[in-house]
Amino acid sequence: MTTAATVHKKRSRRSLSKTDRFTLATFIGIPTLLQVILLWVPAVVTIILSFTYWNGVRLKDIHWAGIQNYKNIFFNNPLFYQALKNNGIWLLFFILIATPLGILLAYQIDRGIKGHAFYESIYYLPVVLSLAVIGIIWNFMLQPGGFVQGLMGRDIGNAISIWGNPKINTWVILGIASWRHIGYIMLLYLSGLKSVDPALKEAAAIDGATDWQIFRKIILPTMQPVNIIIVVITLIESLRAFDLVYIIYGSPTIFPLLNLLVFQNFAGQGISMKGAAYAVILLVLCIVPIITYLRISFKEDLK
Amino acid sequence: MSEEKNVLSRRSVIKGAAVGGAALAAGSTLSAGSADAATKLKGSTVKWTTRGGGATGDAIAKAVNDAFTKKTGAKVVAQQVNSDDFQNNFAQIMQGSPDDAFGWMAGYRSNHFGEMGLLADLTREIGHLKAGLPAAAIKGATSPVSKKPYILPTTYYPWGLHYRKSMVKDIGMNPENIGNWDDFIKMATLTQKKGLVGYSLGAKGGWEAMGTFDILNARVNGYKYHIDLLNGRAKWTDARTKETFKYFAQLIPFMNTNFMDISWDGMRDLLLQKKTGAMMMGSWFANDFKAKSQADYDDLWVVPFPEINPKFGVDTIDAPLDGISVAANGKNVSGGKALAEFWASPEGIAAAVKAGDTNIYVSKSFDTSAYDAFNKQKLAVLAAASNIMFFLDRDARGDFAGPVVGPAIQSFLQKPADINKILENVQAQWDALPKQ
Repeated sequence: MTTAATVHKKRSRRSLSKTDRFTLATFIGIPTLLQVILLWVPAVVTIILSFTYWNGVRLKDIHWAGIQNYKNIFFNNPLFYQALKNNGIWLLFFILIATPLGILLAYQIDRGIKGHAFYESIYYLPVVLSLAVIGIIWNFMLQPGGFVQGLMGRDIGNAISIWGNPKINTWVILGIASWRHIGYIMLLYLSGLKSVDPALKEAAAIDGATDWQIFRKIILPTMQPVNIIIVVITLIESLRAFDLVYIIYGSPTIFPLLNLLVFQNFAGQGISMKGAAYAVILLVLCIVPIITYLRISFKEDLK
Repeated sequence: MSEEKNVLSRRSVIKGAAVGGAALAAGSTLSAGSADAATKLKGSTVKWTTRGGGATGDAIAKAVNDAFTKKTGAKVVAQQVNSDDFQNNFAQIMQGSPDDAFGWMAGYRSNHFGEMGLLADLTREIGHLKAGLPAAAIKGATSPVSKKPYILPTTYYPWGLHYRKSMVKDIGMNPENIGNWDDFIKMATLTQKKGLVGYSLGAKGGWEAMGTFDILNARVNGYKYHIDLLNGRAKWTDARTKETFKYFAQLIPFMNTNFMDISWDGMRDLLLQKKTGAMMMGSWFANDFKAKSQADYDDLWVVPFPEINPKFGVDTIDAPLDGISVAANGKNVSGGKALAEFWASPEGIAAAVKAGDTNIYVSKSFDTSAYDAFNKQKLAVLAAASNIMFFLDRDARGDFAGPVVGPAIQSFLQKPADINKILENVQAQWDALPKQ
């Protein structure tokens, strides 16, 4: 739609002045440099270290180990499979319950449902607090001798086992984590919803579409960029869950998670490069689905 | 690398302190031959970390540090840290910006990190204190590999069966001792009948249950077998190890059902609140009973864990040795060494005791003649044993004790029927460890 002259003008406007180039270089270059130094170099070093034996203190103690650490994890460590199971349950819970609830809440709040200010404050609260703080609060309340146990009239001797009971601790932990996750998703979705043209919704309503049809056929497609973010965040948050469970337990035995296993083997008194191997496994588990998902989404976009 | 070379000679430590009332040794003060070290100290700041202990711990630290300041003119900045956190992140802390001096543990923990270069070599300081310390204590503080001490030995305590005399008398048993396994089960049963916990355990921290395992293994299979097991010379899948766990399984019905939810301080609270019959624990928490009331402290009692196999009697005990270490990466290493030496010297010890420390000191200057009944009983418990162990996570290597044995025992407590599978797994993980 442009004439040859305007194309020519566009091209010359696109060649940047010296100051422009310098500004661009600095604003892109410095963050990129920081990214490489603080993120990529340690990541590559961790991957390399996962193939060694080392206790983390003196460089001269590094010995090559090949895939021994991985063999050890896959064949000798039952905690690993329990951790995979727990992360899997976490992921499913988030995908099927927490994230949809967040989206639903955002949609209803956007429509101005009654009491929306109430819902907003309840769900914003845990987003503002860090998971570690939330963990401390709930640990304090639910442990033997804690507040909730006291309310039920139970002292340390006969307190109900919550954190140590494998039948209920999963759901208690997921409930607490979901409380925060719902608010987080709701926040992201609300900001996206504001950018949906209300005229579209009204037109569809006039045409006789139901609420659900409006949501599925108009809102969801328009929110495609936010949808991508939501899916990636849900995946990452469930696979890298750590803070809440670490604060409550400190060690991976009772409720193993992949990140807890990384931490137990990478820090403190038992440092071994098994922690690096766990970290690499976690990385692969996160990256493969995310890249696949992004490729599918962007392929549609490009079409 | 074998830690056992340390444990074999603890018997003399026991003898040294149990004889008690030893004449106050010629006071070993900070060495006279450090004139310019003294001038370097004056006005400098030394940083001190207290590992847990609550208000009492802080009070004791303040007393000793103030005495040090008065003597040398150096300022001491003290902080208290959560004991488990400090321990679990120790390698990181020592490589970062640690405080100069702190209370630490002898055995694998000081030897390993000392050999890595994270703890300062305290050969000179131990030389100054040598006259006042039993030879066994010095040996226990010295690494068997590098022959250097990375810790100045100060206190030790027995792991024993703790209970309240009043509660045992209530159920009609002898409050002074619990003789053998059958008596012990009887005590737990009667206590449980009264609606209380028979044998309490708080396994959340991962290490508390090791105390019970250690003593059961030593009672059933003997001290040598236990040390062999921790160092790979005996197998976890051996029938003898399984025998120990059979005894352990007998205790599970008497435990509080929420044992996976509470740690060692929960166990202490259970006894403090009279909710439990007995528990296997180190005696370090007696200060908390004294803080609550003198009556509670007088009611507290400790005995050696009852005999199971007459061949071994009660000849073994876990009696971990604690002391003071200096961080090699601290800002003021020489100041840290001076402060550490003061803490371990008779002057420092006197200040600590005056401020309420009820621990037993290895120092020959330590006067036990004025000991109260509970402390005399602690000495008796220590004296009853001829073999001393330091505790599982100090006698075994760090990448095995915490990450493998701790979780294995916790899994066993939750599902005792799976013990064979669990033991096979522990053995497999031991076999897979890189040779040190």
